[in-house]
Amino acid sequence: MLSVKNLHASVDGKEILKGIDLEVKAGEVHAIMGPNGSGKSTLASVLAGNEKFTVTAGSAEFLGRDLLSMPIEERARLGLFLGFQYPVEIPGVTMANFMKLAVNEHRKYRGEEPLTAGQFLKLMREKSAVVELDSKLTSRAVNEGFSGGEKKKNEIFQMAMLDPKLAILDETDSGLDIDALRIVATGVTRLHTPQNATVVITHYQRLLDYIVPDYVHVLYKGRIIHSGDKTLALKLEKEGYDWLINDYREE
Amino acid sequence: MELTNRIREAGFRPVAGDALRIDATEPTAFLAENPGTLAVEVAAGCRAQLVVLCGAPTAAELRIVLGTGAALEAAVVFLSEAFAEISVVQEAQSSCRLTTAQFVSSEMRCRIGLEGRGAENELKGFFVAAGTEHCVAEIRTEHRATDCRSDSTVRGVAGGAARGEFRGMVYVAPGAQRTDARQQNRNVLLGEAARIETQPQLEIYADDVKCSHGATVGLLDGEAVLYMRQRGLSENQARSLQIEGFVGEVVSHCGIGPLSGLLTEAVAAKLEKM
Repeated sequence: MLSVKNLHASVDGKEILKGIDLEVKAGEVHAIMGPNGSGKSTLASVLAGNEKFTVTAGSAEFLGRDLLSMPIEERARLGLFLGFQYPVEIPGVTMANFMKLAVNEHRKYRGEEPLTAGQFLKLMREKSAVVELDSKLTSRAVNEGFSGGEKKKNEIFQMAMLDPKLAILDETDSGLDIDALRIVATGVTRLHTPQNATVVITHYQRLLDYIVPDYVHVLYKGRIIHSGDKTLALKLEKEGYDWLINDYREE
Repeated sequence: MELTNRIREAGFRPVAGDALRIDATEPTAFLAENPGTLAVEVAAGCRAQLVVLCGAPTAAELRIVLGTGAALEAAVVFLSEAFAEISVVQEAQSSCRLTTAQFVSSEMRCRIGLEGRGAENELKGFFVAAGTEHCVAEIRTEHRATDCRSDSTVRGVAGGAARGEFRGMVYVAPGAQRTDARQQNRNVLLGEAARIETQPQLEIYADDVKCSHGATVGLLDGEAVLYMRQRGLSENQARSLQIEGFVGEVVSHCGIGPLSGLLTEAVAAKLEKM
């Protein structure tokens, strides 16, 4: 589904990603871990198409298409979803309006008719239940006045609405209390099917108790320095990153 | 224009002549089209709604008087180049909600006089200027009695080489104690050649008052545009939606029949061409 080869990217002339290789197949869950500043969020942003970053080398294919040549909205319509670490507030724009436009843009891209008002409302009700999102929030402005937990639930709600092929969740667990974490993580798990894939970026093993990864990758200084199965996350939780990164420190 | 017809078809009650005296509570909103001079009086204790539509080039003069405890919700919509002077005089305990909507080059001068104790005025206005249009919104609010409250917000959008001007003044007369006055002007510039001038001013001659004012001029929020594009909206859709939201926070305040929805659609239609 996603095939990233030797990806290099920089921002303001500073190289952040220094050769990423990553293969994600349908049905898989990948976790990307690593110390602060290692490039995890940059990787998510570059894959999503944030123009702030410049890709200087390498390639990325998504569903057989050249991902890097597409603008951000086309990647989204093709089925790539980014759960933002810091969801943005959009005053005066209701969730319902925003999602209606988004869902119908996705449908148009696939050559489908737009949803009727009734179909759309039904879909919203159905999907807000996935993350126990108060349905009143959908009539409020996007993320405005939402608590930290509500914002993250709202990200997963949007993911449910758009039904992406690949979801990249950038520290969706940060700032969540235990209950919100459980709800968000359970929501993600419920949305997982053999046809889609999830990449979760996280600092903590605790999210992976709910979202069990097939692969765990450690990103350090812009490279994936180690990959393993779910036991790697447990080992990292116990022993930290030092045993892995000592070899790379001098580079 | 589309909006003119939709407002005409909204079931409002047309006003004829240059004077309108309201001495009963009216369930149906009045509609005054290209009024020239119009004097509106709402008698003590009565409630009414009024839409003023400037749909042809006009110099309009609108004088509104609210008796003790009267309530009026009014909207003034500019769809054609116009110069309009609006004066609102409010007696004790009266309340007035105003919505102003400038879709084309226009100069609006609004003077609000809170003459009786405990009068309240809330004004929410916007202009959307494109091309070489020039919109002026001047709001002068005079607190002349004690315990009055006023809250004025004007939001401006200027694209192309358009100009927007806001001139605000809150005047608190000597003795108008316990005044609560707020005035705010926020603007979004869509192009490098667009210009906004804003002058929020206060003149206060009483000592027990709560007054605030502020003005901002900014660009669209790039992070929000990025966020919306990640959900599949085109850049144009994301920008339009954001401006609609910016203006919408003002428009949604209008409670006259279907007018709020009609104004929102007209804003979207205008943005589409910008």
